[in-house]
Amino acid sequence: MIRLEGVSKRYANGHHGLMDVTLTVNRGEFVFLVGPSGAGKSTLIRLLYGEDRPTSGQVVIDQFRLQKMTWRQLPRLRRQLGIVFQDVKLLPARTVYQNVSFAMEVVGASRKEVTRRVPQVLELVGLSRQRDSFPDQLSGGEQQRVGIARALVNQPIYVLADEPTGNLDPETAADIMRLFLEINRRGATVVMATHARDLVNQLQKRVIAIESGQVVRDEVKGAYGYDA
Amino acid sequence: MTRNSLGYLVREAGRGLTRNVWMAVASISTVAISLFVLAVFVAVSANVNHVTTLLQNEVELRVFVKPHTSRSVEMNLLKQARNWPDVRKVEFFSKHEAAQQLKKEFPHQQALFAVIAKSNPLFDGYDVYTGSANEIPQVAQRFSKEPIIHNVVYEGNVVSRITRLSHIVRWAGWIVEALLALATMLIIVNTIRLAVFSRRREIQVMRLVGATNWFIRWPFVLEGLVIGFLGAGAAEAVVAASYGWVSSAAAVSVPFWPLAGMHLVIVRTSLFTGIGGFMVGGVASLIALRRFLRV
Repeated sequence: MIRLEGVSKRYANGHHGLMDVTLTVNRGEFVFLVGPSGAGKSTLIRLLYGEDRPTSGQVVIDQFRLQKMTWRQLPRLRRQLGIVFQDVKLLPARTVYQNVSFAMEVVGASRKEVTRRVPQVLELVGLSRQRDSFPDQLSGGEQQRVGIARALVNQPIYVLADEPTGNLDPETAADIMRLFLEINRRGATVVMATHARDLVNQLQKRVIAIESGQVVRDEVKGAYGYDA
Repeated sequence: MTRNSLGYLVREAGRGLTRNVWMAVASISTVAISLFVLAVFVAVSANVNHVTTLLQNEVELRVFVKPHTSRSVEMNLLKQARNWPDVRKVEFFSKHEAAQQLKKEFPHQQALFAVIAKSNPLFDGYDVYTGSANEIPQVAQRFSKEPIIHNVVYEGNVVSRITRLSHIVRWAGWIVEALLALATMLIIVNTIRLAVFSRRREIQVMRLVGATNWFIRWPFVLEGLVIGFLGAGAAEAVVAASYGWVSSAAAVSVPFWPLAGMHLVIVRTSLFTGIGGFMVGGVASLIALRRFLRV
């Protein structure tokens, strides 16, 4: 379970990222974070994976109380999370397969686990045939699939995505979104910041709207609610 | 750390070293030069110690007995002196033995010895060795107070001067070495920073998927250590080659100057360069990583 209680984030330049946000996301949920650019969606995601600390309030993910965690403890939290970005952050000198296996190697997985698990996730994201391609040989949608495969390979409980379809054409975006739904169906909790209005409206999932750092709407079967 | 992680660690460190080959070469050469200077100081200091020890084994004081003193009185003083705590060794020589010694040392002055053989003008006396060079004056003084003693001759100054010289060499060495170590460290810090910078994407991914800080650090630390050790190895190779050359050259041009053995010098210097390389490489990479791996 993800729980935020009275969370505020004020940046050093005085800008308020978030103001007094309280919300709960249960295991197995699929949550869209929507709102204008600069509203605080990315700030919220960054707080969840411990990249930023709240100025006040509590961020709790399962047994982890993030404001009390030291840098040393952070890896334990991160192994429960799969993180997907708009700019996929792939390693250009490594193949699709190596990009995904790298994420397993660096958390100390055995070679056996790696050779078993990586083909599975590549199959899941539909990239089995491109496993030996390099990122610059792939389309934007394919690159994002590699990013998702990398986020999933360590079997996270929570998948955090920050505008994963931001750079993609509508059709590819829909493909990627279907992939996230599949991930959610298999048990992972998904929290996704997005601007994909049509998809949000279509999917009827929980929608949390953030404006100027505050939660202004939290609907179970919500709509995007903003004009494009 | 599993076997897989170890393989990963070695692979990554190798990747880092080959990615910035010239920077690595620059670092290794700097380490080598600085460690070579260290080794030179160590070698010089080993030689000074060597000479000091040798000199201490030479006669330190020569004490002469007044003529016409009976042998039993002389032997009494010998026995007494053997019990003095600051006297390591004392040996009696008669004026006859002194003449023989002189003959041996100056084989071309036979005419002189013909004269000596008739009426030996030399004195009986003692060769005295002290525990350390700075005990020489007090021992000399004690002997001079004895009524049978004619005079005391010593060149303890040589030993104490050499000892002082070795202190100076050592201290100057440490200071120069500290400065060199600092410069070397800065260069390694820079190399590691470059390596970290060129791998910042990997590091970012590693952190996001939950690699531990040490897992991220180790390849860089290993890289620093490898630089340190390669530098030490290069320095040691140069030391071995040049010391061999120096000692064979010295055997010809200054045959009376006893050089410390090759083996001793190599063992000593490699001890210092090894530890130096290890410390400089390791500390530098830790410094380089300290700030980078927060967040």
